[in-house]
Amino acid sequence: MIDPYYLQQLTIGISLGMVYALMAIGFTLIFGVLNVVNFAHGEVYTIGAFAGIMAIAAFGPPFLVIVFIVLAVGALAGFSLERVAFRPFRRFSDEASLKSRAMREATLMSSLAMSIIAREAMELLFGSEFQTIDIGYLINKPISLGPVTIVNGDIIIFVVSVLMLGGLQWLLKYSAIGLSIRAVSNNPLGAKYVGINTDRTIVLTFVIGSMMGALAGILVGLYYGAVFPSMGFIPGVKAFVAMVMGGLSSIPGAVIAALVLGVAESLSTTFVSSVWADMVAYLFLIVTLVFFPQGLFGARRERV
Amino acid sequence: MSKDFIQSAGLKLAILAVLFVALPLLLVSLDKGYIYQVVMLALIFSLLAVSLQLVTGIAGLLHLGHAAFYGVGAYIAALAGADYGIGFTLGLPLAGLGAAAIAFVVALPTMRLVSIYFAVATLGIGQMIFLVLQNWVEVTKGPNGVSLFSGIDLFGYTVDSELGIYFVVATIVCISIWVIHRLSHSYYGNALRSLREDDQCADAMGINTVRLKIESFMISSFFAGIAGALWAYTTGYISPVDFDFAESILILAMVVVGGLGSIPGAIIGALLLILLPEALRGVGDMRNIIVGFVLFFSILFLPKGLFGEVPSLNFIRRQFGSAWQDNPDKQKVGWK
Repeated sequence: MIDPYYLQQLTIGISLGMVYALMAIGFTLIFGVLNVVNFAHGEVYTIGAFAGIMAIAAFGPPFLVIVFIVLAVGALAGFSLERVAFRPFRRFSDEASLKSRAMREATLMSSLAMSIIAREAMELLFGSEFQTIDIGYLINKPISLGPVTIVNGDIIIFVVSVLMLGGLQWLLKYSAIGLSIRAVSNNPLGAKYVGINTDRTIVLTFVIGSMMGALAGILVGLYYGAVFPSMGFIPGVKAFVAMVMGGLSSIPGAVIAALVLGVAESLSTTFVSSVWADMVAYLFLIVTLVFFPQGLFGARRERV
Repeated sequence: MSKDFIQSAGLKLAILAVLFVALPLLLVSLDKGYIYQVVMLALIFSLLAVSLQLVTGIAGLLHLGHAAFYGVGAYIAALAGADYGIGFTLGLPLAGLGAAAIAFVVALPTMRLVSIYFAVATLGIGQMIFLVLQNWVEVTKGPNGVSLFSGIDLFGYTVDSELGIYFVVATIVCISIWVIHRLSHSYYGNALRSLREDDQCADAMGINTVRLKIESFMISSFFAGIAGALWAYTTGYISPVDFDFAESILILAMVVVGGLGSIPGAIIGALLLILLPEALRGVGDMRNIIVGFVLFFSILFLPKGLFGEVPSLNFIRRQFGSAWQDNPDKQKVGWK
């Protein structure tokens, strides 16, 4: 019989992994359509958390309403991010310049600049310390399941994430929007030729990815009770690692990698120490890049 | 010949005169510790930006962890000085070599990655080094940082006045930038540029691309380590937060704002991003947000940077490069 303590850590790991998965999907979707990395994704996560706690402080709505407010704010953040940091650099729409190095590096830098601006603006507005959150809203009430004690946040995170991931799969497989996203990520120029509005599709991808990122932010904020302007950086890096491990363009791959990462992190917190837990993600990153440069589930690529 | 000679010597002399005569006179007349700190910060970041320029601008490898190697140099110099009594004369090269050695170990597995994969690998490595600096408390003293009280010892003399330290820092920064300048405007530098333009083509032409990438990465880290040692000795106190991801981005922003591939550009970018936030200090602590805005607008409106590579190369040809001109006295550059 396994010690209940380890089962508990495993639950925490799965919750963490689910949150990383929500974020990693944002990265993966955007990488799929534009072939660029959105470095401001971690800030979308922070914005989601701040939107949630501001809604709580302003009028204390029920949990489900907060989720919808956060989703709306995330959508807005994704839309404006695309407008400000990505669209100005998409001057030419042919495939060569869409996938060119100059375009990739310019958008990488501009999203990096946007992430600095967003984080510092939040720091100027709210201060860099932890924000106070109404205790009643924290999702860390213990629930006993036989010998194992989990918190209600584990269940909430699991349910919300599974719903979001399922919704995304449905959207991508069966809706017109999803079809156009898949078409653009497969071949942007071909998609344009058959009459798909690629600009609109790219905006929608950012909106969907950022909604997931913002939701991950508020879930983690309420789970740990810690919301602060630079909270997005480390989860952003880890979600990014999950995306690379998953093979850059594979959504199931990113989700599995994110879960592996979350569980590995919570186990290393248990067995080693919490300060070194972040090291696990970076080790995974380097090992993946060196030994499986295509990612664990990715399609073959010419060069990495 | 004479005109070019005067031009070239004139410009070098002007820069040296400002650095070693005008600026020290100004510093002495103002006599404020704060101004000294800002000037030395600007000098050290100029060296950091130029050393990153070698890897990112000239060899074309997007490096997101440069501050970590700067940190390694600073920690080696500070710990050698504080715990083992190794002075500046030995500590400075030790810091550079230590950073270069770590860069070598790190580069061996990662150098065959290209583009964004390489950038992510350097981000991960930078973060790993940062975590080690922060959490290996027995050696690095963790988040408390390391204090270094000894002055700079130079072959028996101890320099501990602010002006003296300024002269030492300015001299070392000038020599280092000169070395990187000569390196990047040589055949070696051209080989690095060929990696940036098309490394598969360079490989096919017989250039050992992996070796060149590793070498440029090590040279760059060596100078970052030197800059770190200078920083440790000028402030007398270092802590891991001086070397986090934000600093890497700051250095990268300097290179991008100044112009990728251009060494004068990197210096201009470093001066701009250090001096502008200091000038606006009255408004509040806006340093990082200014970095963000300057970075964004320069990518949007000046994609080639303030002083891009092509103007920089033309400038160097005009000012320094007699080798490119028809000159019977000098050996010509080019294929025989």
